[in-house]
Amino acid sequence: MSEDDELKRIIGKPTSRAKVVIERGPVANFATAVCDANPVYRDESAARRAGLDGIPVPPTFPFSMETWGKFVEIQPDDAPEGNPMAEVLGPLMAKGGIILHGEQEFEYHRPVHVGDVLIGEGRIVDAYSKESKGKTMTFVVTETTWRDSVTGEPAVTTRFNVIHRI
Amino acid sequence: MGEAKLHFEDVLEGDEAPVVSHTLSRTDLVRYAGASGDYNPMHHDEIIAKAAGQPSVFGHGMFSMGLLATAVTDYVGIDNLTRYKVRFSSQTWPGEELLTHITVRAKRVEGDRHLVDLDCSLTNAGGEIKVVGEATADLSSKA
Repeated sequence: MSEDDELKRIIGKPTSRAKVVIERGPVANFATAVCDANPVYRDESAARRAGLDGIPVPPTFPFSMETWGKFVEIQPDDAPEGNPMAEVLGPLMAKGGIILHGEQEFEYHRPVHVGDVLIGEGRIVDAYSKESKGKTMTFVVTETTWRDSVTGEPAVTTRFNVIHRI
Repeated sequence: MGEAKLHFEDVLEGDEAPVVSHTLSRTDLVRYAGASGDYNPMHHDEIIAKAAGQPSVFGHGMFSMGLLATAVTDYVGIDNLTRYKVRFSSQTWPGEELLTHITVRAKRVEGDRHLVDLDCSLTNAGGEIKVVGEATADLSSKA
């Protein structure tokens, strides 16, 4: 199988299934870390005064929410095994080169607030390689859709584009 | 509905949001590592970073995207974004002044949504692009 076939083989494969709880402390701490002093991220009454339905999360928080709210006892027991991204990038890294975060995208379907419980399902949506300036660049894009665990409505979709360059 | 900070009718194509300036410190890197859970040592361990051929530790790409997002939500209000995407172009270094640039590219009405498309980037004082991308906000309308 050629390397391109090997890459195409992982498109569509599931990468993750996780349940996260959005908690107040991590959200406030994250807002501080991205230099946002707005009280709405820290105080529910300030959020209500701003016309919001609860304490919001900074736009890039969904990239980090698994760090905080992915509690062991609430994880679905049907999470996919293995990681197709690592299956491709592992052998490439064995040859050398570096891994880069190429692009990041968030699509917001509805606001995420403290107290929400979300279920995220990830899958590989693209994988390809190309030559650029004498280097081989391999791109793997993982898309994760986070849905409200109660209503099932989509809240946010993330697209994580990782590059191996050698 | 999000924060009604900026109304659709008050925005014109070509408008620019206020520039946010922030000088990156090693404390920022440590704080972001802790808040995000990204403990790649390139972002906090000077000895390992130098051994890997880097001049020093350097900033998380997602810190740059997050700092730029702070300037975006300061402008359009919180909980109004429908999309935000960036490409990571170059590394950020402690001591560097980082500046946000946000311009209204287009306005459009889709059904009951009043959308504003923004071009946005984060650069250093010399104009070197760190991250570049776009965002769309659904703003409240006075109509």
